[in-house]
Amino acid sequence: MPNLIERQRHIIDFTLSSLLRRKGKNCALLLVYTLIVFILASVLFFTHALKREAALLLNEAPEIIVQRTLAGRYQTIPIAWSDRILKINGVISVRPRLWGYHFDSAFKANYTLTVPAGNPPQQGSIDIGSGISMMRGANRGDIIAFTGHDGIPRSFKIRNILEHESQLLANDLILLSEEDYRDFTGIPADQATDLALRVRNSREYGIIAEKITRIYPDTRPIVRTEILRTYDALFGWRSGLLIVIFSAAILAFVIFAWEKATGLSAEERREIGILKAVGWETSDILLMKFWEGTVISLTAFLVGIILAYLHVFFTSSALFAPVLKGWSTLYPAFPLTPFLDLGQVATLFFLTVVPYTITTIVPSWRAATIDPDAVMR
Amino acid sequence: MNNKSLKIVLIFIAAFIVGTSPAFADNLKPQKAGPRDKCPVCGMFVAKYPDFAAQIQFQDGSIFHFDGAKDMFKYYLNLPRYAPGKKPADISALFVTNYYDLTLLDGLTAYYVSGSDVYGPMGRELIPFVREAEARDFLKDHKGKSIIRFSDVTPALLRALD
Repeated sequence: MPNLIERQRHIIDFTLSSLLRRKGKNCALLLVYTLIVFILASVLFFTHALKREAALLLNEAPEIIVQRTLAGRYQTIPIAWSDRILKINGVISVRPRLWGYHFDSAFKANYTLTVPAGNPPQQGSIDIGSGISMMRGANRGDIIAFTGHDGIPRSFKIRNILEHESQLLANDLILLSEEDYRDFTGIPADQATDLALRVRNSREYGIIAEKITRIYPDTRPIVRTEILRTYDALFGWRSGLLIVIFSAAILAFVIFAWEKATGLSAEERREIGILKAVGWETSDILLMKFWEGTVISLTAFLVGIILAYLHVFFTSSALFAPVLKGWSTLYPAFPLTPFLDLGQVATLFFLTVVPYTITTIVPSWRAATIDPDAVMR
Repeated sequence: MNNKSLKIVLIFIAAFIVGTSPAFADNLKPQKAGPRDKCPVCGMFVAKYPDFAAQIQFQDGSIFHFDGAKDMFKYYLNLPRYAPGKKPADISALFVTNYYDLTLLDGLTAYYVSGSDVYGPMGRELIPFVREAEARDFLKDHKGKSIIRFSDVTPALLRALD
C-alpha cells in the first residue's frame, strides 16, 4: 500500500515538472478553463441565490391573493368584500393588506411600504430595512422624512432596523402603522391594497379562486403556485439568456480543449515514445496523462468556483447584475445571502472536470499503445 | 381530617379518574402519525399523506393510522381479519381529516361524500366534513355522488369505491 501511494506521488511529481516545461501553453489553457468555470459558476450561483430569495419571500406569502381590477388595471379593493369571501368553504381567514411602493426622488430609490400583520409600529414611528438605513444614514431613534402622496413631507421616528434572512425582502422595506400608511398614500379608510387568504387544502385553490371570480367578477385571485411558477420562469429565462450569451465562449473553450486534448503534438508523442523506451508501461503513461488532466482541470475548477463565489456574494455580481436583475434599476443595491448548494457544485464538476480528464486520456492511450520506435523515428 | 375536606378530596379523586379514563371519548385527542406508522390495510406510510389521514384508537391505548377514511372503514368493518380478538366496542375513538381545514374530527359524527373527483393516496375516497353544509357544497363543486354518515358505510359501498 505505501508503495502504491509512493508510485502515484512520483508520477505526479513527473507530471508537474513536465507541465512546467510547457509553461506558456498550459498557463493559457488554465486561464481559459478557469474563466469558463468562473462564468458558469457565477450564473449558477446567482440564479440559485435569487431563486432562494424568492422562495423565502414566498414562504410567507398567503395561499391566495385577491386583487381588484378596474378596466383591466389594478385597483384598491373594498375591505367589506372580505366577509363574503370568508364564507367560502376552505377559506380559513381573510386579511386586508396595505402595502405599496414609494419612489424617493432625492435618493433615486424605490421603497416598499407595508403595514405588518403583527406588531405594527406606533403612529409616527417606522421600521426600515438595512438598505434604506445604509443609504439614508439613518439609525434607530433618528427622525427620517419622506414625501407623501400630496407632496407634503412627513417625518417618522425609526423604531427598528430590520434584519432578515432574505436581503431581497427586508432591504427596501418600510413598516408603518395603518393610520400613517393611509395618511401617507391617500388610500381611503374602507379600501385595502389586496386581500390575503389562508387556505389549508391546496386542492381547493382552483375552486376557491373560481368562486371568488363568480361573486366579484372584477377581481383577480392569484394563487401562490402561480407566483412560484412565474418567478421560476423569470429567473430561468434570465439565466438561460446569460448562458446563451456565454455559450460562444464555452464553444471556443470546447474547441480549444478538444484540440489540446485529442490531437497530441509531435513533441508529446515523442515524449511518450521515449518514456516507453525507457521502460514505462502503458498503464504508467495513462496514469501520468490522467494526473495531468486532473491537475489542470481541478485547479481551474477550484479557482473558478472560488472566484465565482466571491463575485456573486461579495461584489453582488458586478459583472452581469444588469442582465440578471433588471426588473428595477432603481432598486437599492442588495447583497445576496451567501449560499452554496453541493448539488450545483457537483453538476459543474461533472460537466467540466470529468469530460476534460477523459478526453486527455483517450489519445494518450492510443499513442501509448504504438510501438515506441515507430513514434520516435 | 373533617368530613367536608374529605368530600372535597373524594371529588378531586373522582374527577381525576374520570379525566384520565379512556372510556370517555371526549377526552381523547387525535395523535399525529409518526414517520414509521403504516396503514394496516394497505401498508403505506401514513405521515406522507396528512391531508387524508384517519385513525382508530383502542381502549388498550393502541392507535392505528390509515391513509384515508376508506381504509379506516375497511379495517373497522372487518375487525376479525385486521385485528383478531378486538371488537367494535373496544374502540375508544375514530378520527378522520376534515377536507377543508385539514384538522382531525370525530369520525362517528362526520359527513362523508363519496364519488367525488378528489382522489386520496388510495384512489377514490370518502371525503369527511364536519358540517352537512360543507359536504353539500363539496358535493356540488367536486361532482360527488352522495353524502353518507358513519353507519351508512358498508363493505359493498367500499368495494364500489375500489
